[in-house]
Amino acid sequence: MLTALARDLAAPLAANGSFLIKPGVGLMVWTLLVFGLTMVLLSKLAFPRISAALERRQKAIEESIDTAERTRAEAEQILAEYRQRLQEARAQADEIIQRARQTAEVQEREAKERGQEIVAEASQRAQREIEAATKRALEELRNEVADLTITATEKVTRKALDPEDQKRLVEEALREMDFSGLSSGASNN
Amino acid sequence: MNATETGGLPPRPAPEEARIPAPHPTDDPAPKSSVKRKLLIALGVYLAGLIALIAIYGFKGHRNELFKPQNEFKLESWVDLGIFSINKAVLYLFIAAALTCVTMIYIARRMQQRPNKVQAAVEALFRLMHDNITASAMDERMAAKWFPFIGTLFLFILFSNLVGYIPLPTNTENEINVFGLQIPSFSLYAATANLSVPLVLALTVFVSYTVEGIRAKGPIGYLKGLIPGGVQGGMAVPIFFLEVLSNLMRILSLTIRLFANILAGHLIILFMAGALAVILGSAWLGWFTLPFGIILFAFEVGLVAALQAFIFATLTAIYLGGAVAKDH
Repeated sequence: MLTALARDLAAPLAANGSFLIKPGVGLMVWTLLVFGLTMVLLSKLAFPRISAALERRQKAIEESIDTAERTRAEAEQILAEYRQRLQEARAQADEIIQRARQTAEVQEREAKERGQEIVAEASQRAQREIEAATKRALEELRNEVADLTITATEKVTRKALDPEDQKRLVEEALREMDFSGLSSGASNN
Repeated sequence: MNATETGGLPPRPAPEEARIPAPHPTDDPAPKSSVKRKLLIALGVYLAGLIALIAIYGFKGHRNELFKPQNEFKLESWVDLGIFSINKAVLYLFIAAALTCVTMIYIARRMQQRPNKVQAAVEALFRLMHDNITASAMDERMAAKWFPFIGTLFLFILFSNLVGYIPLPTNTENEINVFGLQIPSFSLYAATANLSVPLVLALTVFVSYTVEGIRAKGPIGYLKGLIPGGVQGGMAVPIFFLEVLSNLMRILSLTIRLFANILAGHLIILFMAGALAVILGSAWLGWFTLPFGIILFAFEVGLVAALQAFIFATLTAIYLGGAVAKDH
């Protein structure tokens, strides 16, 4: 059916359509003129402008890329410098800390030694003061004992003692009394 | 809910489920089924129309001997200037040339650093013409020289082909009466569907590359260059004549490729869009072939028009590049 249909349709086309494949000189000339005019107009007014615009954009893109690359290089350089400085700063900080630590240790040691010295000195001074106080107290006690001894002896004997007797009595009484415990107890305190 | 209804208390917040927004119409899988439903409706209408036309007018039609589809391409003289008479083809040439120039110049004058969609499309077209078609077939200096010719060829053929798919009131053989005014009926026609247009363009290409070849190598050198490298002795003579013939055949191949593709495209659209039904007198056939006509129309507009322009321009660039190449 399709073949028959094609034959039916092709027959009139072949019979009456010879003008379809017959070139016309007039139309060819018109085509040439119109095409030529189009080419002139496009090559004068359209193509150069489009080309120039595209070149401008290309240039702008290249410049942008160059700028971006330059900026990136600068940024990398700045970053490298920053890193170097940071490293230096860290090294300096470490050095400062180390130095401070050493100084602190020295100062601590010195302070400790000085403290020990002060404590020792204070202790010695206290010892001396205690000893002096003890000595004074013993002296006072001795005197008191002597007075009491004399007084007691006078009361017992109902007579006044001459200075030689007083001296002998006191010395005997004091000899019999042991003050070493007081003295050692005071020094221990 | 007002204060009275709530007993003077502030209104309670709406329940959680009430505050959830309703699903958007585009969120559900409705579009797929919607497209399917539309397609089914279209198919139903198509089949119903087919059945109705067969029922009303019958299956077998009466052959129409008067209608001749080829007459759609017949050129009637509108303004008599002898052989330079203005006819439909000349009008289409003018329209194509005017559209080419206006479009390109308009866009060229409004080129911006940040292009819009139209400018981007034109730039892509320009790069295609310049980089892909012209510069790929010849050196930079020659490309700069011949780009206007090749670019114009591409655009001129492209616009001529595309204008041919716009129905215009140019069929003076069949006029329609609109409120007493006789106006030509609408038809599809393309200047490139007329043999003369592709032929003269092909001849221009032939002359161009021959002249360029002779200019580059001299007449004898150009003729000698037609013989492929490595062919010597007695074989050179027949090969030379074959190459000359091949060169002349380029005119025919360029012409017929463009002419036949566009003419065939128009004819098949014409047949599918109703001419077949008119010839065979079957109303249902027109309804039956209409979808195929629409598909073919889209195919011709979307692919064939640009492809033929691209092939013509590319072959022109190749012939020009080949004409000056050392080893032709």
